[in-house]
Amino acid sequence: MRTENLVLKNLARRKGRTVLNSIGLIMAIAVIVVTVTISNSMEIKIGEEVEKYGPNIVVTPDTKSINVPYGSVTIGSSTFDEAKLTSLETIPNAVNIRIISPKLFGQTDYGESNLLMVGVNAGDERLLKVWWEINGESPEPGSDETLLGSQVFSALELSIGSSIELNDRAFTVTGYLSETGSNDDYTVFVPLATAQDMMGLPGKVSVVDIGALCSDCPVEDISQQIMDAIPSVKATPVKQAVETRMMAVEQAANFSLGLASIVLVAGCIGVMNTMVSSVHLRRREIGVFLSLGADALFVYRIFLFEAVLLGLAGGLLGAGLGVASSVLLGPLVLNTATSISNVPTYVVPLSLGISVLSCLIASLYPTWMATKIDPVSALKAI
Amino acid sequence: MITINDVTKSYIIGGNQVNALNNVSLEISEGDFMAVTGPSGSGKSTLLYTLGGLLTPNVGRVTVNESDIYSLSQRLRARFRRENVGFIFQTFELLPYLTALENVMLPLSINGINGREQEDKASDSLEKVGLDERADHKPTELSGGEQQRVAVARGLVNDPKILLADEPTGNLDQKTGDGIMSLLSDLNEEGQTIVFVTHDLSRTVMANKDVGMIDGGIITVNNRDV
Repeated sequence: MRTENLVLKNLARRKGRTVLNSIGLIMAIAVIVVTVTISNSMEIKIGEEVEKYGPNIVVTPDTKSINVPYGSVTIGSSTFDEAKLTSLETIPNAVNIRIISPKLFGQTDYGESNLLMVGVNAGDERLLKVWWEINGESPEPGSDETLLGSQVFSALELSIGSSIELNDRAFTVTGYLSETGSNDDYTVFVPLATAQDMMGLPGKVSVVDIGALCSDCPVEDISQQIMDAIPSVKATPVKQAVETRMMAVEQAANFSLGLASIVLVAGCIGVMNTMVSSVHLRRREIGVFLSLGADALFVYRIFLFEAVLLGLAGGLLGAGLGVASSVLLGPLVLNTATSISNVPTYVVPLSLGISVLSCLIASLYPTWMATKIDPVSALKAI
Repeated sequence: MITINDVTKSYIIGGNQVNALNNVSLEISEGDFMAVTGPSGSGKSTLLYTLGGLLTPNVGRVTVNESDIYSLSQRLRARFRRENVGFIFQTFELLPYLTALENVMLPLSINGINGREQEDKASDSLEKVGLDERADHKPTELSGGEQQRVAVARGLVNDPKILLADEPTGNLDQKTGDGIMSLLSDLNEEGQTIVFVTHDLSRTVMANKDVGMIDGGIITVNNRDV
């Protein structure tokens, strides 16, 4: 009979009470698992959204000229060669680049007033700006067709199929955008090649919006790679929105982990209480061990092995409860779909590690108490 | 074999010092079957546990084969106990979640003996007390006499130099108690040194040495031929 068998046999006769006393620990581990799993799911979701919504790198000429605000970035009046964009295929993370949408900015005369004109490949832009709702059709590349922002469309009282004269050149309105709440509402979109031709800037672009799949790669790295590949441009990662969202997730996760830490401390106190009461209830048994020649090391082995078993059981039950709660309650509570595949692989070893460590720490004092028991008074011999 | 020299063991109870052992000296030889008698509170159990290395005296020495056991570290004294002493208690003190065989294996497990050898030795020990057929029973499935036999087997399993029994018949009826005393007597005849404590003078008839105690002091030491 090994010492471990002794512990197992003893635990087996009071397993119900042991589980009851370990509920605090199990709950703490479950909360930690839920926190880790849900925040992981939210990060994945945000990653997917980042991939889906808008550009995350903006390439502009590296210029010191006066800047013009456009959306979340500023652009200069300088341009650079569109042909240089072929170098993007050579960067190490080329495979992560999903969409490249070059644009040329300019102004166009319309009657007495000026309008902001953007030369763009409408198809690429539409892929980047999934919120674009085009009424009618996109302009054909190279044609004299135009897509109007909602404010321009309504202010000029035009309709689809109308003709509009821009810089003394007749364009057909093929469609207009529903309101976006951005500068796009005040913009006239024409095919890129047409804009280059109108402005006398063949092959030139003002800005290139890039959509990169960056859930598994740092967007800063890709930006740097772009600048290395095309020396005369500036590549700016657009990360403010992402960072704000990630920060919110991190804050929520930190709050939950803080909460879990408090529950864990309470769980540890529960385990300590269990172990103290175990030591108290087993005073006579410890007295027998000591009278039979057991030393402090033997007592430590008995109680710390029991602590490890409690920790393993608590960790497994807590991890199971946590994963189940994440999958079942996640979508209801946090509006975040969580599947088993979203559960990070390190959750089980992490739960077991925290649980076993907590149990060991919580058991040190009670075990030390056990080694100090006077066997004679424990056996009530005198 | 075991010598107690001028041992005093005192406790503070309710602010007063009580001498459980008062300047006691005694010698136990190999093969002795010694009875320690006296009324409650006379110090006989204190003497037994002091002999067994479980109670450190305030004054005096307990030597076993010329070695002062209370000058040893706690770890070495624990080792001394598991290699030299077997204890039997009035209330048996068997672990309820272990079978008779496993209870007897316990001292061997504590001593780090391997599983196969534990089982063989424990079986032999149970056979010696006539309980080999009850090896797989838990204590609650055994009678009081059977439980005490298991406790005797547990006390013997490490081949101790001395077997110390604290009121071994105190929780048993007369007939069952007689059986336990016969068992101890038989073991003594085989060469086992035994010291037992009892307040029942009729239990001393089999002993070859009878020590009488009152108020922590030894008042009589009778050697007799049995």
